[in-house]
Amino acid sequence: MNYKIKYDVIVIGAGPSGVSAAINCAQKGLQVLIVDISHNTGGQIYRAPPKSYKHISEKKLQENKTQEYLSREIKKNNIFTAYNHTVWQVSPGFKVDAFNDISTIQWHAKNIIVATGTYEKIIPFDGWTNPGIIGLAACTVMLKSHHFIPSQKIILAGNGPLLLLVAYYIIEFGGEVEAIIDTSSKFDWIKSTVSLISNPKNFKDGIKWLTKILFNKVPIYSNSMIAKATQHNEYIKVKIQNINTGKQESLVTGTLAVGHGLIPSTDITRLLGAKHIYNESKGGWIAEIDDYLRSSLDGLYVTGDGAGISGAIAAKDKGLIASLALLYDEKIIKEKEFKIKTKKIFKRLYKYELFAKAIAKLNSTPPQLLNNIKDETILCRCEDITKKDILEAIDNGAKDLNQLKSWTRFGMGPCQGRTCQYSVAKVVAEELKCNVEDIGYLTGRSPIRPVPLDRAIGEFDYNEITKIEAAPL
Amino acid sequence: MNLRVSNYFKRSKKIKIFVNNESLEAYEGECLALVLYINNIKNLRLSPKNKDGRGMFCLMGSCQECVVLIDEMKVTSCNVFIKEGMNIKIGDLDEL
Repeated sequence: MNYKIKYDVIVIGAGPSGVSAAINCAQKGLQVLIVDISHNTGGQIYRAPPKSYKHISEKKLQENKTQEYLSREIKKNNIFTAYNHTVWQVSPGFKVDAFNDISTIQWHAKNIIVATGTYEKIIPFDGWTNPGIIGLAACTVMLKSHHFIPSQKIILAGNGPLLLLVAYYIIEFGGEVEAIIDTSSKFDWIKSTVSLISNPKNFKDGIKWLTKILFNKVPIYSNSMIAKATQHNEYIKVKIQNINTGKQESLVTGTLAVGHGLIPSTDITRLLGAKHIYNESKGGWIAEIDDYLRSSLDGLYVTGDGAGISGAIAAKDKGLIASLALLYDEKIIKEKEFKIKTKKIFKRLYKYELFAKAIAKLNSTPPQLLNNIKDETILCRCEDITKKDILEAIDNGAKDLNQLKSWTRFGMGPCQGRTCQYSVAKVVAEELKCNVEDIGYLTGRSPIRPVPLDRAIGEFDYNEITKIEAAPL
Repeated sequence: MNLRVSNYFKRSKKIKIFVNNESLEAYEGECLALVLYINNIKNLRLSPKNKDGRGMFCLMGSCQECVVLIDEMKVTSCNVFIKEGMNIKIGDLDEL
């Protein structure tokens, strides 16, 4: 595809929020580019199936239908698309660098809408790095987008609605859920229903999932966590522990999937040096935003779950808010239109936020989960950094996350701390007897994703290189 | 048990890929990380310090754990759709 180099708006992330923001901007005549690492729209929640898959009938999963709708809307509104592109750097001004299979490319834009969603929060336990142990969110993508079951038998652990969703699809697709291990109690779930009803569509889905799970008599271990997992040739041995009584039980399984909620992706806003705040119920560190999703930097907007977790349905509305703010700031719409339109959306969003708060409670991290991390447990998977390594650096005087990074290499590997920052921060705050917000967050560093050097350099002729004259001796 | 779900989609044609020179059958365009996973090839690489096995973890291009070598390039296998004859190397990537 031939790209233009300059756009009015670049939307990073083609999930429900990014797509809704892009459409709204394009419909007012702005030149919009939407970029995504995947080969199509959908984000993670509605990730598109591989291109080589062909529908056998009109029977489709709702998630796959929603994704097709998003793609049709993008096409209809003449939005430029850069799928299969991984953004590895965003610089002030704004310049966006991305690479695909072949080369790297730089685009310029007056405005950026960051719609990069979330990644999964997984609190470490002994043996969590063993191959075969995967994220719950990974399971949702495997099932709904790629149409695979991970193994014949599977144990699901963690907390929140993903436990139910994954269990539902495994059973629906003919697999067997050996056990659901939930850190929440049954009472926590019952308490949450009052707020969960505020989002009837999601609530109805939840009831559907639960009914199937109960009908199939899946053993549910409430108030429980994975104390330890060990890998044997063809199976994983899982030690389950009740977080109140300490009672343990062992099970064996083919796949162990674990997830404790979601963490907003802040790679790009941190890289640009926007201000951030800590909000545990929104998922941890998020860019500081006003009611209209403007960040602390001019022309930089943050939307979707990346602006604080509130779910896919709210994400679409947040996309509308962010784009309306952008259109107003660009003087494309007048104050009256801006106020009237956003007011309507805020009414809906208020309800979704109630729902999100209830989900956040179910996804809260009980202290027992953090206390279960042993000295020898690896926290930073990329660099093999254990809790002991972190505690030693603290003993030696490290006081914040960036110091710890320099001293131990935690967060310095290819994932740039996405997998471990949340848990390391909790461990450090516990040790220093302070709050997580007191020890800061990892400074954004480029590249935010590993970029092959040959592609970063690109193709060039020798005479294109800027030659710098040698300094006089 | 067939771990491929065929209630909604038909896969493309059967192809062969090579993992450390051993051939493996799968369907064109399937996700590499998943083809390896369901064939019980879960140990994809070794961690840099302890040389412990690592494999597919987040399946969304964030964690970088599922990196393999294809044509001498390190790539996250969760973002690769397989093609006929693809040559994949797994194991101690720094030694290969």
